[in-house]
Amino acid sequence: MDALIEKLKGQIIEQLNLVEVKPADIKPDAPLFGEGLGLDSIDALELIVLLEKHYGIKIQNPADGKKIFESVRTMAEFIKSNGKD
Amino acid sequence: MTKKAYIIGSGSISPQNTIDENWFFEKINPVHIDFFSALEPSYKEHIAPNMLRRMGRAIKMGVTAANMAVVDAKVQNVDAIISGTGLGCFEDSEKFLLAIINNKEQFLTPTSFIQSTHNTVGSQIALIMKCYDYNFTYVHRGFSFETCVMDALMQMEEGKQTILIGGIEEHTPMYVELLRRSKKFSSNNSHQYYEGKTKGIQMGEGSTFFVLSDTKKNACSCIEGISFSYKPKSTEEILSAITNLLKTHQTSLEKIDVVLMGFSGDQQFDNYLLELLPQVSKTSATAHFKQLCGEYHTAGAFGTWVANKIIEKQNVPEAIKINSLTKSTINTVLIINAYMGINYSFTLLSKC
Repeated sequence: MDALIEKLKGQIIEQLNLVEVKPADIKPDAPLFGEGLGLDSIDALELIVLLEKHYGIKIQNPADGKKIFESVRTMAEFIKSNGKD
Repeated sequence: MTKKAYIIGSGSISPQNTIDENWFFEKINPVHIDFFSALEPSYKEHIAPNMLRRMGRAIKMGVTAANMAVVDAKVQNVDAIISGTGLGCFEDSEKFLLAIINNKEQFLTPTSFIQSTHNTVGSQIALIMKCYDYNFTYVHRGFSFETCVMDALMQMEEGKQTILIGGIEEHTPMYVELLRRSKKFSSNNSHQYYEGKTKGIQMGEGSTFFVLSDTKKNACSCIEGISFSYKPKSTEEILSAITNLLKTHQTSLEKIDVVLMGFSGDQQFDNYLLELLPQVSKTSATAHFKQLCGEYHTAGAFGTWVANKIIEKQNVPEAIKINSLTKSTINTVLIINAYMGINYSFTLLSKC
């Protein structure tokens, strides 16, 4: 799980062009939206594409998005639960 | 149009050191191989990091130049934002199109698509300034900036008091490569475009914004009027357009103190302006500006910045002079600009 979290941090930084952010700055349990990284709705779309592009996972129910993208850890757990790590 | 647009603030990002507000042609940056690149400032000082990470160079240059103009004008907000760009946000357009190709039309992300539209710069400026008034972007190739000027003059007739106008253009490695293949580029050793011996153009880029006001307060110069000529068929046609503009403003070519020429740098495009030069050189101090910024669709905005500086400093810098004629007072500057022999524009500025 830890390796997947680290890999995800790098992919998030690259996908969202977070030029000032280093992987160590992202806490696995910190919220991605609002506080923490302060991401917004456009970033949410970028993260959906990230999951599809790198892990082949499509989010079937949009209502699940809020829970999946709560933090890097919840994203990693979602990937794991789909057997795509 | 009877209203004048008083220039109360300006900001320019160009291949020269225009980001230093005190720069006045002291040190000239030479062309980089066969194209000019803008000297960009530290954008972090002008744009919030969360906005900056999504912006391409055109947006960063546009937003920052606009901010510089607003700070220079010492205004909190404006009544209208009018932007001009020939090619828009090229970098993001390329990114999005390349993503379509590379990802086989799948996994397309929204950011570069959203940022690729021509009006992104104007809308980002509006979001940052919280200016929800008139906002327009002109994409009229070589007339893009000049159309902004004309619209600003019309908006002032309609009652707008303070207007932000500007021109933005960026080049990308791919764009430079395409121009090289089209053989329109040249590494001219000489920048004496007015001698009519240079072949090929040297592409440039940059962003220049102005805050215009309907009142004279805090202004050194004003835009009196502007007119265009599209693909003129002769020098006489150009001269006629200039004469008509000057007549409208109760003046004539002989009374113009400084004529600022915007040669493309390629003799095949510049033939009409080269024919016109001896006539304007007789009575006016003449200068040219594209050897400093390169050729691009909105280079006229940089030309307007140069004209405004000439009036402000009451001096034609040596670096841009064509003839040695001097004027004790510079009351009027006429910009004669042409984009690659297609779009000709004539802008009259005067001292306040």
